[in-house]
Amino acid sequence: MSIFQIISSLFALFMLYVVTIHKSRSKLTQTEVSIWYGLWIFFIILALFPNLLQGVTDILKFERVFDLLIVGAFMVLSAVVFLSYFQQKSNQTKIEEFVRSSSIKEAAQKKTVL
Amino acid sequence: MQDKNIWVIVPGFNEAKYLAPVLEKLMHLYKQVVFVDDGSSDTTATIAKKYVEHTLVHRINLGKGAALKTGSEYAFEHLGAEAVIFMDSDGQHKPEEIALFLAQFKEGAEVIFGERRMGSEMPLLRIIGNRVASFVIYLLFGAYIPDVPSGFKAFSKSAYERVRWNSTGYEVELEIAARVAKYKLSFRTITISTIYHDMERGMSPLTAVRMIWKALAWKVSL
Repeated sequence: MSIFQIISSLFALFMLYVVTIHKSRSKLTQTEVSIWYGLWIFFIILALFPNLLQGVTDILKFERVFDLLIVGAFMVLSAVVFLSYFQQKSNQTKIEEFVRSSSIKEAAQKKTVL
Repeated sequence: MQDKNIWVIVPGFNEAKYLAPVLEKLMHLYKQVVFVDDGSSDTTATIAKKYVEHTLVHRINLGKGAALKTGSEYAFEHLGAEAVIFMDSDGQHKPEEIALFLAQFKEGAEVIFGERRMGSEMPLLRIIGNRVASFVIYLLFGAYIPDVPSGFKAFSKSAYERVRWNSTGYEVELEIAARVAKYKLSFRTITISTIYHDMERGMSPLTAVRMIWKALAWKVSL
């Protein structure tokens, strides 16, 4: 087993711990917990037994399993950044609308009272 | 000087230093004023409430564009405004020059831009920035609008509905110019005084870069 495999496994174990913390604080639903546990356990299995992907690597004509993992990781990372960007924009719009409408409502109510 | 359906919108963020004399002078000359405190952490809102009956408060800082939109919506929907005039709260605009905008509205203007003289009163960097902004708008949208960053401007209700912007920050000035040019709205310019007393405030070079980037995005999206 290489050092890289050990570091990857420890990283995944740490992420499982992070998921557990969020679970205990009720920040994640049961479905989300299952998905995240599944994902990180899958990550540990791949880190320890990378040859499991040898078949896929051959089909996709990658030289090494490592190359496949790098490409896969970039795809996942890009998707996460993309989705986070739109979520952040949506939240920003909601906050803006809330702050603006509440200030207009307060002023309008004050005007009615006067 | 009072005109029935025209309201002055004054946005402010941490303006306690200059606000009292600005509002005192403004309210002396013109009563129809809406002040929007954009989440200030100083006493801006308290000072504004002393002078302006229609003071709106954002609970958090959203930016100048959002404050102008809040003030405009309030004026049009709750005060029956037919037009709005935007004026900065930092003392860089003279309240007596509101009369120039009112005169233009009487002549039927829909969009009015206040244009500062780019002489010795204006710092060289700002002159260059202004020219670049006008050139970018001309290049991308086909209309030359002088002094794009000037916050002293006015819109009729129908013009506001066409230019209603999405920007929340300082880039609102550029978006307004882009929309006016894009939708080919007829506009007039009037010469206003050039006053600079706080060089640290307003647009930074970083804001200017961001604005140009935004202008390119609006070229695609508007």
